[in-house]
Amino acid sequence: MEKLKIGIFELTGCAGCALLILDCESQLVDIFSAADIEAFLMAKSDNSDGPVDIALIEGTVTTEEEKEELLAIRRRAGLVIAIGNCACEGGIQAALTASGNWSKEFRQVYKDLKPTNVRPIPSQPIDTFIKVDYYLPGCPIGQEQFLTTFTRLLAGHPPELYRFPVCMECKWRENECLLNKNIACLGPLTKAGCGAVCPSHNLPCVGCWGPAEEANRSAEFKLLLEKGFDPESLQRKMAIYSGTTIVDFFNSLKKERR
Amino acid sequence: MRILKLKKLNLFSFLQSLSNGIELWAPVKKDSQTVFQFILPEEINKINLNFTRTLLPPKKLFIPPSFNMFQVTAKGYKEDYSWIKDRILFGLHPCDIHGLLTLDRIFTQNFPDSYYVQARQKTLILGLSCWPDEYCLCQSTHTDIIEEGFDLFFSELGDDYLVWIGSSRGDDLIRIKPEFFEESLGTKDIEKYIEWREKRAQAFKTKINFVFMPDLMELKYNDSVWERAGTACLACGSCSMVCPTCNCYNVRDEILLGDKPGRRVREWDSCTLLEYSLVAGGENFRSKKSSRLKLWYTHKLQAFGSKYGKPSCVGCGRCLVTCPVGINVKSISDSLEGKKVDAFWARFSIEVKP
Amino acid sequence: MTMKTITIDHLARVEGNGGLMVTIDGQAVTEVKFLINEGPRLIERLSVGKTPEEDVSLVPRICAICTLSHKNAVLRAIENALGVKVPPKVTLLRELMHLGEFIESHSLHLYYLALPDYVGFPNAIAMASRFPLEVKIALEMKQFGNHIMKILSGRFIHGENPVIGGFGRYPTKEELLFIKARAIQFMPFVHKTTEIFCSLPYPDIPEDETIFACCEPGDGEYGLWGEEILISTGEKIHRDDYCKLTNEFLVPHSTAKRSRYQGKTYTVGAQARVNLLGERLKGEAKRMLSRFYNDRWKRNPLFQNAAQAIEIMYCFERIPEVVDEILKYPEDPGIVGYSAKNGQGTGLVEAPRGLLIHHYEIENGRVTYADIITPTAQNAEEIERYCLLAAQKLLEQGKEDLIKDRLELIVRAFDPCISCSTHIVEIKKMDGTLWEDKLKQFKATNPVIIGLGNLSYGDDKAGLVIVQELKAEGLADIYSEEEVVENETFWTEVEGRPILFVDALNFGAEPGRITLVPLTQLLWNSSLTHRLMPTLLSWLSPETIKKAYLLGIQPLSIQNGSLSQPVAQAIEKVVDILKK
Repeated sequence: MEKLKIGIFELTGCAGCALLILDCESQLVDIFSAADIEAFLMAKSDNSDGPVDIALIEGTVTTEEEKEELLAIRRRAGLVIAIGNCACEGGIQAALTASGNWSKEFRQVYKDLKPTNVRPIPSQPIDTFIKVDYYLPGCPIGQEQFLTTFTRLLAGHPPELYRFPVCMECKWRENECLLNKNIACLGPLTKAGCGAVCPSHNLPCVGCWGPAEEANRSAEFKLLLEKGFDPESLQRKMAIYSGTTIVDFFNSLKKERR
Repeated sequence: MRILKLKKLNLFSFLQSLSNGIELWAPVKKDSQTVFQFILPEEINKINLNFTRTLLPPKKLFIPPSFNMFQVTAKGYKEDYSWIKDRILFGLHPCDIHGLLTLDRIFTQNFPDSYYVQARQKTLILGLSCWPDEYCLCQSTHTDIIEEGFDLFFSELGDDYLVWIGSSRGDDLIRIKPEFFEESLGTKDIEKYIEWREKRAQAFKTKINFVFMPDLMELKYNDSVWERAGTACLACGSCSMVCPTCNCYNVRDEILLGDKPGRRVREWDSCTLLEYSLVAGGENFRSKKSSRLKLWYTHKLQAFGSKYGKPSCVGCGRCLVTCPVGINVKSISDSLEGKKVDAFWARFSIEVKP
Repeated sequence: MTMKTITIDHLARVEGNGGLMVTIDGQAVTEVKFLINEGPRLIERLSVGKTPEEDVSLVPRICAICTLSHKNAVLRAIENALGVKVPPKVTLLRELMHLGEFIESHSLHLYYLALPDYVGFPNAIAMASRFPLEVKIALEMKQFGNHIMKILSGRFIHGENPVIGGFGRYPTKEELLFIKARAIQFMPFVHKTTEIFCSLPYPDIPEDETIFACCEPGDGEYGLWGEEILISTGEKIHRDDYCKLTNEFLVPHSTAKRSRYQGKTYTVGAQARVNLLGERLKGEAKRMLSRFYNDRWKRNPLFQNAAQAIEIMYCFERIPEVVDEILKYPEDPGIVGYSAKNGQGTGLVEAPRGLLIHHYEIENGRVTYADIITPTAQNAEEIERYCLLAAQKLLEQGKEDLIKDRLELIVRAFDPCISCSTHIVEIKKMDGTLWEDKLKQFKATNPVIIGLGNLSYGDDKAGLVIVQELKAEGLADIYSEEEVVENETFWTEVEGRPILFVDALNFGAEPGRITLVPLTQLLWNSSLTHRLMPTLLSWLSPETIKKAYLLGIQPLSIQNGSLSQPVAQAIEKVVDILKK
């Protein structure tokens, strides 16, 4: 059987998802021999511009150049997989995009200077510009989820990812619900897949796997209001890893207040 | 059924003597909660006897939250029973033993589940008496007393335990340390026990109209309760995870790289989750949280009863202490009865101004 | 046309998306730009308005590979700001976690990113065919580093377990003893690593003295953090005065967040630490350093690799000590609470690639100001300086074809972490390569023009002739060298303005060719002839010097008395543009 051609691409972000792939130490040789890694800038210098069967893309689109690069990757890729919170939802940097304050904040740092090597734009998840076939969440992605997804893709199967929130994995690990201890845990709003690592370390979920498909934000928001948290800090907390997806929720809150 | 007497101060020594060469699992404190945990003989003092309910029910020992069903290679597959060990499980309260008996109906009768069956056969059940708190509903569900389903059962009575021997395997355990057990119970012991049972029966504060539920589910199938609870439901699945009789599972295939075998992983699932009723072709016939909640409750309180003779709620109260928004057997059944319910889900629709 | 550009669009085997652009004009390298092609994430702005706890979770996401260095830096800064005192066990566990990151990062950098260059492979996996043992060591060592990080931080990358005042969950005794045992088992491999990287044939281009800076760990110890910054000039700077080193006082109002120390570039990282603190090493690390150390370790940036290898040894020797110390405290101290809601504080740590500074101001329990100075941002100027030196030297030796690979080698040796520097994207103008366009653009900024040269030496008078002709046109802000040399008032007045120097400049091109070079690059480059006043540095601020340009005309001869034909023609062209 012909080996599949894989490209791993990094847009703007912390490079953690690409690094996590390198962190799969004991499987790395298997990964590199099971597929032809055509492009992986962090790991190799002989990178090709040719077609790939599967493109794994991390990071947000934060410059015009990245937008062009992304469109070019889509054209030469069979499947496109968004990997990590940045590519899937916009990551931490998209909070400024979501708030509509990007230009203001950009000027705060850079004044009127216009960079010439790149043309910055507000950070966006990649599906703003291209069709994404599958999403692999996490900040950064989890090793186990990456490996199971990657191997399924290599075998021609679609990924099988959890669609429920962190609470399921949290209960599997027999942790007491932190919401019941009056701690603002974002577990119910956040995709599972991390193994409920923070609640298992006695810490509230910060939401870094991105919003769960059916996240009931208004219920948790009001539940926490009832527990005495202030709306401003709750909105801020919920926005950190929700990228651009939080906009609708904030709009709905505004509507309610009217 | 034989009843013996054991001095309280000999309980740990007895359990310690049992734990030689066999895994002893017992209730242990985890922060403010109690969980069933594997205990080494030298850790016997970690056992916590003063608890009302563990965070997860004992089902976790028979169908773990996530386990490997089999390895698969190009040549075929091989079941993985390696996680199933000889075990003694100590500290089950009557409701939890009832929970296991309910699971037995599902997993051992028409279509035996080989993993569950093996784990069940290899595990001895040592029950323990309890005292209800404000969340215990087992009197209403008629699961506050247990007469079967254990190998030994320890009823606390002053400085002693009355020990029921429920099986020949239980009897074998007694023979390991016969010197700890007194054969004959005095009149005083019997009087004390009767008194204890009466007092305990009086101690239940929380009640539901369990017998009425099947009818009420039918009559109020279109009640607004479901919609209202659905709006507040976080769809987090916790109610199912902590329920001693919820048993749904999902399987995932993990294909591994290189020459390593693949695995089929079996994980706890819940009908309250979005993906549960999703079928091939993308149709989801319970895409609304309200219809999923309705399924959970009608299944538990009505449909299970018509199939297996009794409803599958054992009144352990875990959904009462777990659901962050207060959707539980008590609040739902009260609400269906037309009572005013003080739970977040009921307040939620009233509006909390941000 | 002799003007050419060497561009590396995407630097491979570095962390993040960066590039390098070198402009060569005749025999002169006129420009080296270390480009950061990632978009701005504005992390410091994202910090503002967050609670300290949220900030501790958010900020390490600047960078995946230094995530725990950022974690330790933000924790130290915020704990300083809010007066949180953590018990010794917490400090020791944080050190252990930091050591894990050093092992992970250094072994990743040395084996995966750097070594393939020296043995001629495109990547480490391909290298496995010829060096199976080395690749195996790398994988296992990196895995061990990751293991430590995961146990302590909760995850390989962006773990949330370290929090203000302690840890959410403390590692068990068994977990700690396992780490200690593994560290001891690794020693033979660690030896091998140190030998490999201390004895690689590092090329001798570029070599030049520089200034080093790192944390002063105190107590005469080697270490990975401190309360002061130690500089190779002998100066020590307290953490609160970090701006004295980095010169970034104007921070929110300036985009140029690169750092210079008293106008000079400086190096941070393993090389700086080993040069500054190497004498404090003990055991095998000390023995290995004295076996391999020589003067080139101070002058050649490629020795960052060797220094990292010494540090891997240090980390492996330190781990068993740290674990033993931790085990002296069997009780888990939980999380130290605090009630302060206001304060400001700085945290200094050594990230694997160098000094990392976090500074926060907190009011009413919210971050109101954040300043993060990453090692790569500090090294950026050094990377450009050494690249320029190397390119110039190779050009002079007629080895132009080596430039591209050599510069990549240099950039990689600094182990740059481009995501780290992205939140402060350096905005550099790519001005096109033709001097006319550049000069027109520069003219539009209304510069002060200063002619340099000597009227008695042929073409050397070019700069002075240009100035005379411009003065004759009645233009303002035109000066000749002698008018301004010792004139303090003049320099005070022009401080902050763009300045254009004009002079004859031997850059190896055909006579009469004109080039426009940023002044900074000439200041670094001793191989070019120029007569800028040695006192310039003391008169003008680094910012002003950075904005200044030199327009150079290639002379035919600086021997006889009159201008040569080609230079006279060049002067005419320049005057034409400048008088408009």
